Amino acid sequence: MRVQGLTRTYASDGEPVRALAGVDAAFLRGTFTAIMGPSGSGKSTLLQAAAGLDRPTAGSVWIGDTELSRLSETRLTELRRGRIGFVFQAFNLIGALTVEENILLPLRLSGVRPDRAWIARVVERVGLGERLRHRPSALSGGQQQRVAIARALATRPEVIFCDEPTGALDTTTAAEVLALLRGVVDEHGQTVVMVTHDPVAASWADRVIVLADGRLVHDMPQPGAERIAEHLAALGRKRAVGAR
Amino acid sequence: MTTLAARLLRARPGSSAATLLALTLGALILTAMGVLVESGLRYHPEPVRYAAADLVVARPDTTFTSKEFDGETYRSTVALPEGGTVPVALAGTIRDLPGVAAVAVDENIPVVTADGSLAAGRGWGSAILSPYELTAGRAPAREDEVVLDAGAAGGALPGSRVGLVVGGVLRSYEISGLVTGTGTATAFFTDAHAAALAPRSGGVTAIGVLAAPGTDVADLRARVERVAGDARVLTGTDRGLAERSADRAAAGLLIQIGASFGGYVALLIVFVVAATVGLSVRHRRRDLALLRAVAATPGQVRRMIMAESALIGLVAAVLGVPGGLVAARWLTGELTGRGFLPASFPMLPGVLAAPAAAGVVLVSAVLAGLLAARRISAVKPAEALGEAAAEPTGGGRTRLIGGLVALVAAASAAVAAVAVSGQTAMGAALGMLYLFVLAVALLAPWITNAAARLLTPVLRTGFGTGGYLAAANLRANARGSATVLTSLVLAVGFGGSVWFLQNNLERQAVAESRSGLLASRALVSGAGLSGSALAEVRAIPGVRSATPVRHTTVLAPLMGDGESIGARAVDPATAGAAFDLDVTAGSLTGLRDGAVAVSRTQSSMFGWDVGDDVELRLGDGAAVHARVVAIYRRGLGFGDVVLPLSTVAGHTATNLDDEILISAPASADTALRAVAARHPGSTVVDAAALTGGLAKDLALSAWLNRLLIGVMVGYTVVAAANTMVMAALARRRELALLRLVGVTRRQVRRMVNAEQFGLLGTAVVLGGSIAALTLSSVVRALTGSPVPYVPPLGAVVVLGGTTILALATTVLPIARLLRVPPIEHIGIKE
Ligand SMILES: Nc1ncnc2c1ncn2[C@@H]1O[C@H](COP(=O)(O)OP(=O)(O)O)[C@@H](O)[C@H]1O
Ligand SMILES: [Mg+2]
Repeated sequence: MRVQGLTRTYASDGEPVRALAGVDAAFLRGTFTAIMGPSGSGKSTLLQAAAGLDRPTAGSVWIGDTELSRLSETRLTELRRGRIGFVFQAFNLIGALTVEENILLPLRLSGVRPDRAWIARVVERVGLGERLRHRPSALSGGQQQRVAIARALATRPEVIFCDEPTGALDTTTAAEVLALLRGVVDEHGQTVVMVTHDPVAASWADRVIVLADGRLVHDMPQPGAERIAEHLAALGRKRAVGAR
Repeated sequence: MTTLAARLLRARPGSSAATLLALTLGALILTAMGVLVESGLRYHPEPVRYAAADLVVARPDTTFTSKEFDGETYRSTVALPEGGTVPVALAGTIRDLPGVAAVAVDENIPVVTADGSLAAGRGWGSAILSPYELTAGRAPAREDEVVLDAGAAGGALPGSRVGLVVGGVLRSYEISGLVTGTGTATAFFTDAHAAALAPRSGGVTAIGVLAAPGTDVADLRARVERVAGDARVLTGTDRGLAERSADRAAAGLLIQIGASFGGYVALLIVFVVAATVGLSVRHRRRDLALLRAVAATPGQVRRMIMAESALIGLVAAVLGVPGGLVAARWLTGELTGRGFLPASFPMLPGVLAAPAAAGVVLVSAVLAGLLAARRISAVKPAEALGEAAAEPTGGGRTRLIGGLVALVAAASAAVAAVAVSGQTAMGAALGMLYLFVLAVALLAPWITNAAARLLTPVLRTGFGTGGYLAAANLRANARGSATVLTSLVLAVGFGGSVWFLQNNLERQAVAESRSGLLASRALVSGAGLSGSALAEVRAIPGVRSATPVRHTTVLAPLMGDGESIGARAVDPATAGAAFDLDVTAGSLTGLRDGAVAVSRTQSSMFGWDVGDDVELRLGDGAAVHARVVAIYRRGLGFGDVVLPLSTVAGHTATNLDDEILISAPASADTALRAVAARHPGSTVVDAAALTGGLAKDLALSAWLNRLLIGVMVGYTVVAAANTMVMAALARRRELALLRLVGVTRRQVRRMVNAEQFGLLGTAVVLGGSIAALTLSSVVRALTGSPVPYVPPLGAVVVLGGTTILALATTVLPIARLLRVPPIEHIGIKE
């Protein structure tokens, strides 16, 4: 999947805010990409546009041969259902439904009969076998994120988008979740695109993209957590100087 | 979708409780109203008096025709308030038609029996129409003989003598026989005597026809219709139409109450439920965004919301409809007890009303769900990623334009209401009320915003930091509080104007009657007073004047319909000594046959002026051309039309007077009481009692209006309360956050108090202004003075009620939230 000349302008009360100013990027099948950058650099906006959750002001998003900007809201939903999965930072689950119902929700909404064997594998993979009948409120933050990943996997999507999936977790739990995502790429050949501001989390990826002020400033193979941290620090210094 | 909707509902019962409560109450009210309408609509007067007749010729109603703009003729039929008559000569013509076995004319002579109860006086010839059968004795043969049924006889036997007040005069009769029949208490005189006593000479109430064996009734009917002129020929169950019955009037009243009131409530339900469903959607914005992001199409989410509403509607119907049936029974009891409804009226159990009400509730719920679901398209799936589910503040452009249009319309209605007078002003004022409320409903987000800005300094000085936060919250949440503002403005505006309008009407009527009444005594009788009573009163030494007054109803064409106007017929020669109508134009000296005086309210509604020739129909349908000779102010106290007695003589049901207004010194009282004793059913009262009687009558009819307004206002208040509790409980996260960042519990409480103060204060001021404007224009139209009377207790109830509402619906739930440590309400476990 790829994005081309992606621009997104928010027309808020005062001045229009340009969250993305022409981003080109491609995410190859079976890779794990981390999107990084300072707060407000447009990471979430890029993710949302790429995932068909939001419509860009200009530019195009391709998933396979399908260009998203031309699709109706309903067609877009259907595409998300079948080919895209999500994990957000928090509030991933519907409190009224049990863990199992949350996992099966996309299938249920599309009226597809779940592939029991696959679901069982997914559940086992995320290690939630005994908690299927529980409500999300009875789970810890890490467990909730694992349920969200299980739901994202349930439809066997081509791409899984994650926005700060470990942002609200402690280091140990975060590592479990990241290992899970890594496994998804390695074992099932799915594509994962993850927004994070944590260099350690980014070090689980194959490749790191850095955004600043809505532009792509770095695109590098995963160089290790320390190098990533250095890059970000340099970026922060430049911005501070520029601001002065 | 339905199962998913049910799951989501079960998990969050709180957010749907408000909707459920509103719908259940709505189902209850609608069912009760439905039972009234159903009983009224399906009521058909059973022929009793004419059960044995094949055809009845009568004139129960009159028809008004008018040309529509498009040239079509519009016809409107109005029941005659005094009942019509048919010419007695018609009986002879019908008797000669082929296929007629017998013809009987029927009179309706008011009779008061010895124990003071009312009975129907008829000619013996008409007994075959019911029929009545002799069980003892024989038919009346002499003028002083009478045949009674068990109800009228009261145990007396043939041969004994009874005193009956017939035509207002006490007469002695010998009972010649007894009968049984199905009708009400009845006295049969000889046909000749009945004809002599008949209240309306030349005309009879009805002519009953018995067909000869083997005659086709439809053919006979066609033959009779050819000779009947404008009288109606009734067959089958329609024969009941010719019988003057209180049941028929009651049926009309039931339909009127139930339909108009039920209609308002249905509208209110859609409004209220759309608001609560909308609010619950708003509170679950994040869930819905998540559903959208995960895989639900906008259509699926919309269907889910509608399925949810329908489910709640179903539960509400199950809960509310039985309650409504109980309420209908209670209401029937009250209506009967207060004389609105005869005890004999056949109320139906509501086999149609119950499902109809359930249907309306269900449709309202789905409609409200549809309205709320329309907003779903505004929920972007990306919102699921946001840290806080922010909702857009303010309203859309269409809403703003709609609101401004309503406001302009309301303002022009206000101008109209102030510029015109009389009935037109009342219409304009009520229209203005609705338009203002509509404008407030649409403009609510901007109003709260502006009010918050205006109130910021006030709230800050009054409530400190809490006040500052409150102003910010009011501004940010302008759209969320729109429902509360609208409901409260509706309740205060509607209750304040329509409720207090009743007080003003009553006060004005009594005041007019008191200041206009010159006579010091009155002889009044429910059974009617004859000329003999008048003559006796006038003969008493010391009596300066005695004026007979008859209450009746006239009809006048208004916009294609026949409008009923309460009228008094008086003796013009002595009227000036009995009361002062406060004539503003013309003079009562010209009041004679062919002339009328009209109240200012009615003259402005009909556009009549002194010197105009007007077309009226009397209570029995007789057309009268009259010239307006005077216009007067005191219409509430003395009726809207005043005619000479001679004009209505022979055109009212009893042809008797209702009261004699007397100017006499106290020394005449003994002699007056003696006259009353000679005329059973009559009493002597003083002026204060006469005015008091008027007040009591008015209070009775006001009771019904008050009940209906009370229920409506109550419903609106419950809706407002509902929404406020819902909104308060949905704030746990926000309040927890405030406390975690260091705002003390006390400050949070003050903030909530300040918010309530701002919101309810705005609502009371707006609603109060609307009510005051409406009330003042109506009162000005009625009395000429723009200052309405507001009972002190009423004002206390409005203000106190609002305060209690604020306390009970927000301050208490928030206090409960505050007792729990804030950390419980925050965090990612939502
Ligand atoms: N809904 C919105 N309305 C207005 N501005 C927004 C909205 N969402 C994001 N922005 C702005 O766009 C820019 C990029 O936001 P975002 O993509 O969320 O940044 P990041 O995720 O990198 O922190 C920021 O300046 C933010 O203020
Ligand atoms: Mg972000």
